[in-house]
Formats: sequence, C-alpha cells, structure tokens
Amino acid sequence: MATSMTRTFGALRSVTCSSLKNAELALDVRHPGPLFLPVRTKKRYFIPPAVGLKGKKEENPETKAQAAGIVFRQQYFERPINIACSAGVFDPYIPPEGDARLSTLSKEGLKQRTEQIRQSATSQLAIRKIKEHDSEFSTKTFAEQAQEIFVEAHNALTHFNREKLHSLVTERCYPEMTKGNRYKTIRWRFVESLEPPRVVHARCPDMVTKGNLYGQVTVRMHSKQTIAIYDRFGRLMLGSEEQPKDVLEYLVIERHLINPYSRWRLHGKIVPSWAPPKDPVIKTVAIPGPELNPWEEYDALNYKVPKPASVQWNK
Amino acid sequence: MAAAMRGVGFIRNIVGSLHLRLQILGGASQQLSYLHTSISLDSKHWEKNNRKVYPPQLLDEPRRPAEVYHSRRQIKYSKDKMWYLAKMIQGMSIDEAIAQLEFNDKKGAKIMKEVLLEAQEMAVKNHNVEYKSNLYVAESFSGKGKYLKRIRYHGRGMFGIMDKVYCHYFVKLVEGLPPKPEQKTSFDQAKDYVQSLKNRTIIHSL
Repeated sequence: MATSMTRTFGALRSVTCSSLKNAELALDVRHPGPLFLPVRTKKRYFIPPAVGLKGKKEENPETKAQAAGIVFRQQYFERPINIACSAGVFDPYIPPEGDARLSTLSKEGLKQRTEQIRQSATSQLAIRKIKEHDSEFSTKTFAEQAQEIFVEAHNALTHFNREKLHSLVTERCYPEMTKGNRYKTIRWRFVESLEPPRVVHARCPDMVTKGNLYGQVTVRMHSKQTIAIYDRFGRLMLGSEEQPKDVLEYLVIERHLINPYSRWRLHGKIVPSWAPPKDPVIKTVAIPGPELNPWEEYDALNYKVPKPASVQWNK
Repeated sequence: MAAAMRGVGFIRNIVGSLHLRLQILGGASQQLSYLHTSISLDSKHWEKNNRKVYPPQLLDEPRRPAEVYHSRRQIKYSKDKMWYLAKMIQGMSIDEAIAQLEFNDKKGAKIMKEVLLEAQEMAVKNHNVEYKSNLYVAESFSGKGKYLKRIRYHGRGMFGIMDKVYCHYFVKLVEGLPPKPEQKTSFDQAKDYVQSLKNRTIIHSL
C-alpha cells in the first residue's frame, strides 16, 4: 500500500496541461480554468486523520457562540427532589423477650397483649397525631390493612412488577427487597395467618422542617409462609416450596402525613435480638479464618468461629 | 447440483441449531426470530449472556451447570498472538489454566490470567457457584478490536499505514469437571475406516 503522494499530483498536472492546450485562447483569457482539474474524483491516497489534527488548538466554543449571537438558556445545576419516605425507623419498637413463646390463650400472654399498646404514652400521642391528618385511621382496622399491603407487596416482588411494588413499598425498603434479586426467581406464598395482626407501636417523626410529618406504625404479625429462591440457572438456593414456616414479624408501615395523596407503605421490618437463626443457604460457604503467621498451624490454635452479636436491627 | 444440496443442508443446520437454542431457553418470554439479526458496533453481546435467566428446575431434572461469560475489550496485543494462548487453555480446568498462564512468558498471558481470576470471582459472588475450583474453561477465543491507524514513513516519500493493533478476549467458564477428550484407539479408527468404505453406495444404479 505504499504510494507516493507526489506521483498522484504529478499525474493530475500532466493531464490538465494536455487538456488546456486544446482549449481556445479567448476562453482562457475570459475564464481562466482551475490549474488542477479533478480528473478522477476518487481519493486514492490515504492520510490517517491524526496528521491533520496535530497543530489544531481548541478554541473556546462559548466565545464563538456569543460572537455569533446565539443565546443559551441558563443551565441549572440543582434539581428539586421530593422525599416521600424517611431514612429509617425512628425510635424502633423493642419487642419483649417472650413474645414468640407466650400464646394469647395463657393468662400472662393476654395481659401482656392488652397492656402493651396502652402503656406507651408516646405511641398514643403519635396515634392521635396521625388521626388528625388521616381521619380514617383506626388501630383496629389498620392491622388488617397492613397485612394486606404486606401480602400484595411480596406478590408483586415474585412477579417483579416494579410500578406496583413502588406504590406498596417505600423507597428506603425497595432496594433492600430487590437487591441481588434481578436475575433470580422468587416463589413466595402466604399460607395463612396464625394470629390476628396487631398494632404495637407508633411514632410520628418529622424530618428536616418542623411540620414535615411522617407516621410510622409497627404491626406485629404471626403467619405461615413458604419461600423458595432459585438462582439464574433454576437451581434452588434457599427454602423449599412445600414446607411452610411459622414467621413472627414486626412490620413498619409508613406514610407521609402532610401529603394528602400519600399511602401507607411498607417501610421495613424489625428483627429482634432474640430471633432464632434463619435457615442456612443451600451452598457451602467459606468462613474467613484467623490470620496465621508462617510458623503457626490452624489445628494447633483452638479457633472458635465468632458468633454474631444478638442485636436488634432493622431490615 | 451438489453445491445446491450442500447449501440447503447448511440452511437446515442453521434452522436446526436455532431450534435447539429455542428449546434450551424453555419458558423464555421473548420469541427468537429465525433471521440473523445484525449486531451494531457498540453492542457487548458476550456480556449480555450473563443476564439470561432459566426457569426453576423440576426435582427430577439433572442439576444445570452454571455458566459465566466474561471478556476484556481493547487489549493492546495482537489477536493472532492472543489466539495461541486462548486455544492453549481451552478445555482446561480453571486452576490448571491459571497455573499455565502464570508461568508463560507472553504479554497476553498476564492479561488473560487477570481476566480468568475476575471471572472466577464473579462466578462465586454473583452467579451462585459453590466451589471456585469446580470450573473449567469451556470457550476461549480472541477477537479483533478497533485499530488505530498511523503513518509509517518509508524512503522516497513512500508511506504505509501502520495499524496499532488491539484485541478482545472472551472466556466462558462452566461449573463442573472439564470434559475428557474422547480417546479413540487405533483399532477403533481402523474399524471406522472400514465401515465408511462399506457404507459407500452407487447412486443412479439399476
């Protein structure tokens, strides 16, 4: 592909000279023809684009536009954001130790149940505040509503219906529910509710400004559910489809009270410190061991795998 | 006539392979067309294979082995030189492949080793592979990247266009033991040869 640049130009010049000799003198004087007539218009030599651009400096396009008279609209670097949910669970409910074991039928259980919601004054104040903004709120019906929201949200998660899930679950809870699940298949089924759900706790925090009220209500529910998660290749990762499990959960439902169009949405779950450990994943996982020096051996050290601290945390 | 027959057979093979691919996907919601759809320059098709989701397996089906696709684009190396390394590790288990590349003197070997380690980590973290050594290299090949063109000056005002070569490297890891290549004994090969001679027929005969 090595060609000479001068050769092509030389060929053109010779051809044009010969053609000009035949033309008339008058034509030549009146309309002097171009010295280099393009005889063949196909570019037969190749110069890579980098050669031409070497000496070019970038001029300021803004000054050019101003000189030309073009006016740009002012660019705003800020954008208004609407915060529709609070960042976390404020003043979380601490479930009492024996909550799972005591049944409603025993005398102590019944006393515990009835005393719980009455005791906390802040909860009562919060419920009163919520009733100011939302006239239809009532502790007795709200628990059922909360359970319905829970069931619908998880059904939307199994079918992965994004829009419906956003309307049933707050923005803080959404990534926690859906992270890592994009390429997995989840099969979840709500079998039955073992105890009627109850409102146990309520708080009305305000964020940023004083009047910006969010209502958070904690609902306790005891139910039977089945869950089975399959990975990308259709292999079972967690749980089983036939075996239902009894689950005691504390759901936090939230609503932006100031906004008249807001809805009660699932905001998170509270996992108590005395909760039993969950079922293991169907997979062998390596637990990182102690850092060994070159002369040490693992068998000699009596290394105990550290157990995680039993602390209440919000899911 | 023979060329036309071969052409028809070729088309039938394409359709057959597409059929197989459809069956493998099973309950996939998208309908695959039977036409070859063109891929634009910017599309990264190899990585998109990682997004394929299979429906949950039934209990009696054998466990589907996990597949991980990984690639690296625009490596400053020649695709032909990379090809030698790619075909060397094709079919090896991942530990063996990493060991071979570690002690290979070529420039591409270091890059390929990084790609394999990345792919192994991805498989364990994102694709639910249980044991990181339980993988083997199912497919491994190199492709041409986008070249930069420069002038190479020769004497007498002559010039040549110099290509600054780049290549892509693609690898597919599959869970499980590497498949053993079939060892055919010489006696078996001889038997097959004699059988092929016996299978010959005379067409258009009486």
